[in-house]
Amino acid sequence: MKKKLLVALLIGAVGITSLTGCKASPDASPEGEQQTEQGSGEETEQETGEVQNTGDAIRIVNGKIEIDRQLKAFAESYKERTGQEVIIESLGGGVDIGGAIKGYLAAGNMPDIFVFGGEGEYEVWKEHMEDLSDEPWVAETEFAFVGGDGQVVGFPYALEGYGITYNADILEAAGVDPADLTNAAAYKEAFEKIDSMKDELGIDAVASVAAEAGEMFWSTGNHIFGYYLSLGLDRNDDTYIDLLRGGEVDEERLGMFADFTKMLFEYSDPSVLVSGTYDDQLALWAQGKTAFVTQGNWIDPSLPDYGVEFATGIAPLAFLEEDTKGVLVDSPSWWAVYNESQNIQAAKDFLNDLVFSDEGQEALIKEAGMISPFTVSDVEPSTPLAANIKTYVDSGDTYAWDWVKMPEGIAQNSLGVVFELYAKDELTKDEFIEMMGNALAEYVAN
Amino acid sequence: MSKKKVFSIAEIILGIIITVVTLYLNFMGSDHSMRGWFLIVGLALILLGLYMLPSERHNQIVNFLFLLPLVLTFLVTVLIPFALGVFYSFTDWTGVSYTEFIGFDNYIEMFRSQDYVYSFFITLIFTILNMIFVNIIAFLLALLATSKVKGRNFYRAAFFLPNLIGGIVLGYVWQFIFNKVLTEIGPGYMSMLTDPNLALLAILIVSAWQYAGYIMMIYVTGLQSVPRDILEASEVDGANKWTTLMKIKLPMIANTFTVCIFLTLVNSFKQFDLNLAITNGAPSRIVGGKPIMSTEFMALNIYKTAIAKNRYALGQTKAVVFFILLAIVSLTQVYISKKKEVEM
Repeated sequence: MKKKLLVALLIGAVGITSLTGCKASPDASPEGEQQTEQGSGEETEQETGEVQNTGDAIRIVNGKIEIDRQLKAFAESYKERTGQEVIIESLGGGVDIGGAIKGYLAAGNMPDIFVFGGEGEYEVWKEHMEDLSDEPWVAETEFAFVGGDGQVVGFPYALEGYGITYNADILEAAGVDPADLTNAAAYKEAFEKIDSMKDELGIDAVASVAAEAGEMFWSTGNHIFGYYLSLGLDRNDDTYIDLLRGGEVDEERLGMFADFTKMLFEYSDPSVLVSGTYDDQLALWAQGKTAFVTQGNWIDPSLPDYGVEFATGIAPLAFLEEDTKGVLVDSPSWWAVYNESQNIQAAKDFLNDLVFSDEGQEALIKEAGMISPFTVSDVEPSTPLAANIKTYVDSGDTYAWDWVKMPEGIAQNSLGVVFELYAKDELTKDEFIEMMGNALAEYVAN
Repeated sequence: MSKKKVFSIAEIILGIIITVVTLYLNFMGSDHSMRGWFLIVGLALILLGLYMLPSERHNQIVNFLFLLPLVLTFLVTVLIPFALGVFYSFTDWTGVSYTEFIGFDNYIEMFRSQDYVYSFFITLIFTILNMIFVNIIAFLLALLATSKVKGRNFYRAAFFLPNLIGGIVLGYVWQFIFNKVLTEIGPGYMSMLTDPNLALLAILIVSAWQYAGYIMMIYVTGLQSVPRDILEASEVDGANKWTTLMKIKLPMIANTFTVCIFLTLVNSFKQFDLNLAITNGAPSRIVGGKPIMSTEFMALNIYKTAIAKNRYALGQTKAVVFFILLAIVSLTQVYISKKKEVEM
C-alpha cells in the first residue's frame, strides 16, 4: 500500500510538472486602471521634474543594434534622473525583427515600445499601436509616421540620408565640383573626366556599386530605385509611389533612370558590381580605389575602421535632365507604443525625454552618430556624412523615402533580380523598362 | 460498487468540472490570478482518479499515465503546431492574426506563381545531383578509409570534420573562396556565383564537401560489418578486389545504402543554410521572359515568402505542400530500397 501511495504521488508530480508550463502568469489588471488615472496627472508632475514611477520597468525593442550601447547608457541616465527603469532590448545583425516581435505578441510578452519599418509592418501592427497624435514632440518634426487614418503612431528616433557618397579629395584632384552634380549631364561629364584620369588619380574605377541580387538587393532595389520614386518631388507628393502601388510605372521617367543606372554600372568596378558584398563595396571606396559609392550616412561608423582620412560628402543620384539638389532623407524605422501595455504613460514620457532633454539628444546625435529629426534640437552631428546630411535637412533639400511604402519584400524578391540582370548586361534599356514594369505589376497583383 | 470506485469516479468528475470551469473562465477573458493553479489541480485530480480507479485495465491506464508527459510534449511541440500550420494555410494569416477563412486561394496562388514552380524544379535537380555526388564520394572515401592505407584513422577524422562546422559559417567561408580566392586565378575570371549554372555547381561542391564525410562514416560502419570469413573464403576462391567489392561487399551492405540514400535525399531536399549563406537565391536568370532567382531552393523560397514578403499564410501553404512532397518522396524511396534489399 505504501508503495502504491508513492506511485500515486509520483504520477501526481509528473502530471503537475508537465502542466506547469500552461500556468498563466498572474497579471493583475487593476494596475492598468490605476495607471490611466495616474496618467492624467502626470503632465504637471513632469514639469516639476518628478515623474511618478509606476514601479514597472518599460521595455523597448530596438531594431538598430549599432546604437544598443548608447541607448543603454541613456537608459541609465534616465533612471538616475527620473527613477523610471528602462530595459533596452536590441535586435539586429540578421535577426528577423518583425518575426521576433510577432513571437513576443504570441507569448504575451510584448514590449512597451517596439520598432516597425514602414507601411507594410504598420498594416500588420496597427491594431496594437497607441495613438501618439497629442504628444508634444509631434509638433517638432515632419518625420513622424502617420497611419492611414491620420493618427501619428510612429516616433522617428533618427534620420538617415543617402545618395552617392564621394571622396572629395579625388573629386578635387580631378577638378570636379560636387556641388555641380545635380543633373544627368553633369554626372556624365564628371564620370567621363574621372574615368579618363584613372591612372593619375590612382583609382581602379569611378564608382563602387554592388548589384548582386542575393545580398545587395536592398542597395539597388530599395535605395537606388528609391530615387526613381522620390527625386524632385515634394515630401508629401506620392505621384510615383501611387503609380507603383497601382502596378504601373512612368516609362519616360524610368527611361531616364535606366540611362543613369546603366552609366553607374558601366563606370563601376565589374567584379564588385556582380559579386561584391556590402563590405567589398565599401572597402573598395574607403581604400581610395574609387571616387564614388552608392551608400548613405550609415557608413560613418565604419570609416575609422578603414582609416579614412579624405573629406567626404553625399550628392544626389540626379538622373533627371533638370537640376535636383536634394538627397533622400527619412526616418529608417519608427518606434510605436504598444496600446495594451501597462506602462503607456511611462513609455510616452520616455519618448518625450529623448526629444526634449539635452541628455536624450546628446545620446542619439553625439554618441550614436545619428541625425535628429526634431527641430528643437541644436546638437550638431560630429561624423562627416551625418553632418553633411544635416545641411540638406537644414536647407530643406530633402526628398522622402517613398520606397519604404513599396509592397514588402519587393526588392528582395523581384526588383533586385532585374537590377542584377541589367548590371550583367543581359538586358537592354528597353528590356529593363519592360521587365521592371512587368515585375512590379505582377508583384502588386499578388 | 466499491467505496474506492465511487471515490475515484467522484475525483475524476470533480477534476473535469474544475478544468472546464477554469477553461471557460480563461476563454471569457477573466483575469483571475489563480486560474492557472485551478487548471493544474483539476487536471491532477483527473489523473489521480484515473490511477486509483479499480478496473481490469489498470495496467493499461498506468502505462498511459507514464507515457503522458512525453505524449503531451510531442503534442504541444509537434502535432498541435502542425495542425495549426495546416489550418493557417487556409486563412489570410499575417503572423499576428487572421481575419478570414479563404479556402484554397493560397494553394491556387502558390501553384500559379512561377517562382515556386521554378524553385521546385531547381530543388529537384539539386536533390538528384547532390544525392549521386555525395553518395559516390562518400562511398569512395569509405573504401579508402577501410583499406589498408597508412593513417586511415586520420583520414576518417579529417573527412568527417567539415560536417562539424555549422552550415552558415561554412557557406560564408566558401562564398569568400568563390568570390575572392578563385577569382585570383586570372584576370577577367568572374566568380562562379555570378552564373546561374555554375552557382548551382558551387552549392553542390560545398554540400558534398560538408556532407560526404558524415555519410562516409555510415558506409565505413557498413563495410566493417561485412563478415571476415566470407571475405577470406572469397580470397581463397581467387576472387580479385573488384569481384569482392561487386559480388560480396555491395550486396552485404545494401541496407546501408538505403539509410545513406534516404538521409542524403531528405537532407538535399531540405537544403537551407548553405543556400542562404552562399547565394541567397542569386544570381538571377530569365525564364520565359521573367526574372527569376536561379538558386532559390524550396526551403529558402518558403522562408522568403513568409519573412521577406510578410505573407505568412502563403509561406505556411508552401510549407504544407513541401511536407507532403517530402513525405511522398521519402516513403517511395524507402519502399523501393527495401524491396531491393530482399531481392539481394
